[in-house]
Amino acid sequence: MAQKSCTPELLSGAELMKQGAEARLYRTRFLGKPTVVKQRFPKRYRHPVLDEKLTHRRTTQEVRSILRCRKAGISAPVVYFVDYASHCIFLEDIVSSSTVRDYIASCPDQDQDLDLLVQKVGRILARMHDEDVIHGDLTTSNMLLRLHPDGTKPRHEPDLVLIDFGLSYISALPEDKGVDLYVLEKAFLSTHPNTEALFQTLLHSYTAASNKSNAVIKKLDEVRLRGRKRSMVG
Amino acid sequence: MHLTQKLELFPDHSVTQILFKDVKNAAELRQSAVEGKINGALINPTMLVGPFQVLVAANKAVHLQKTGKMKTRSLYSEIIFNLSPNNNISEAFKRFGISDGDDSVMVVLVHNQDESQLLSDVTNKVNGRQVPVEDVSSLSDAAKIKKLYKVTPQEEVCGTLLDAVVCRMATKDVM
Ligand SMILES: Nc1ncnc2c1ncn2[C@@H]1O[C@H](COP(=O)(O)OP(=O)(O)OP(=O)(O)O)[C@@H](O)[C@H]1O
Ligand SMILES: [Mg+2]
Repeated sequence: MAQKSCTPELLSGAELMKQGAEARLYRTRFLGKPTVVKQRFPKRYRHPVLDEKLTHRRTTQEVRSILRCRKAGISAPVVYFVDYASHCIFLEDIVSSSTVRDYIASCPDQDQDLDLLVQKVGRILARMHDEDVIHGDLTTSNMLLRLHPDGTKPRHEPDLVLIDFGLSYISALPEDKGVDLYVLEKAFLSTHPNTEALFQTLLHSYTAASNKSNAVIKKLDEVRLRGRKRSMVG
Repeated sequence: MHLTQKLELFPDHSVTQILFKDVKNAAELRQSAVEGKINGALINPTMLVGPFQVLVAANKAVHLQKTGKMKTRSLYSEIIFNLSPNNNISEAFKRFGISDGDDSVMVVLVHNQDESQLLSDVTNKVNGRQVPVEDVSSLSDAAKIKKLYKVTPQEEVCGTLLDAVVCRMATKDVM
C-alpha cells in the first residue's frame, strides 16, 4: 500500500529560488502560508546507502538545531513539516528579508548601521554558542535580516534570523566554537573586502555577550595561527 | 463559519474544521467516534492555539497514511496523535481528544471534493452551537498548552505560541 511521497510533485510546480550544491530551495504556498521548501538531493558520486544516511542526518540536524535555537529565543524559521522520504523541510518563508551578505554589500562603507548590525550578529552567535549549538557553516548568506516592508532599516533583535543548520551539531568544546568563528571570519573577510575593523566589532560584541568567550577567543587565536602556518608552509 | 483548506501536497484532499460551543452530548459523540460511527476527528479546542495547528497535524497524517508510516489505526486518530508533543498515544488521546464532560468540540474532516453532505451529517450529530472556527483562540488554555509543550518565555520573544507548538509537532519524530 505504501506509496511515494507527494512532495516532488508539488515542487515541480513551485518557484525554484536557489540551486545549491547540496540542496534546492523552492518558494510555494503550504497550508495557505508562504513557505520555503529545502530539498536535499542525492549525490551521485556517493554510495547510495551512505548518501541516504548523510542526507537524512543533515535533515534531522537542521530541524533539531532550529528548535534548540528557538527554545533559547534565537530566531530561526518555523518548521511546518518534514518529509523524511524525500528529504524536504518546509520552513516559514522569512518574507521581506535580505541576507546579511546582501545588506552589507548594499550599505555605504563606514555606515553606523553596519556597526549596530554586526554587534547584533556577535550577540546572537554568543547566545547560540552558550546553548552549545555549533552552526558549522557560518557565513553572511546564512543569516537573514527582516526588513521594514517600506524601507531597509533593520528592526530590533529578533529580526536577525539564523538559517542553514545542515552542518550543525551540539558541542560544549571551546575549540569547536572557535572554529565556528574562524569559518565565519574567513567567509566574512573574503565576501566583504576591507572589513577587518567591522569584524573586530563583531568579535568584541561576541566576547562581551558570552559567558564563556575567553576560552573560545583563545582557541580562535590558535586556529588562526595554525591556518597562517599552514599557508606559509604550503 | 467552518473553515476548509485544500492540502497543497495532496490536491484531491481538503481539511474542514467545524467548531461547536455549548455542547450537551460530548459523551455520546466520543462513544460514536470510538465505534467509528463518526467520520472525523473530535478535538478538545482548549488545547488548540489556532486552526493552522490542526492543518499541520492533518497534512502530516495524510502524508504518513500515503507513505504507510502511520503510528495509529486511522487517519483521524493519527491527526490527534500528531497534535501531541510526544509519542505517547494514550496520553495524546487524553489531552487532545474530547472527554465526556466537555462543552466544546472541534470537528476535523478530511475529504475529497464537496463537504456539504459531510458537514450536515456532523452538524446533525452534535447537540451544540456552531461558532466561527477563528473563535477557537478564545477557547484555548494558553497556560496548559505552554506547560504541555514546554514553551519557555524566551521562546515567545522570537515567535508566537503557535510557532512554538507547530515546530514541536513537526519535528517530534527526531527529538
Ligand atoms: N526560510 C527562508 N526564508 C527566506 N529565504 C530563505 C529561507 N531559507 C533560505 N532562504 C534563502 O535561500 C538561500 C539558501 O538557503 P540555505 O542557506 O538554507 O541553503 P544552501 O546554502 O543551499 O544549503 P546547503 O548549505 O545545505 O547547501 C539563503 O541564503 C536565503 O537567501
Ligand atoms: Mg546557505
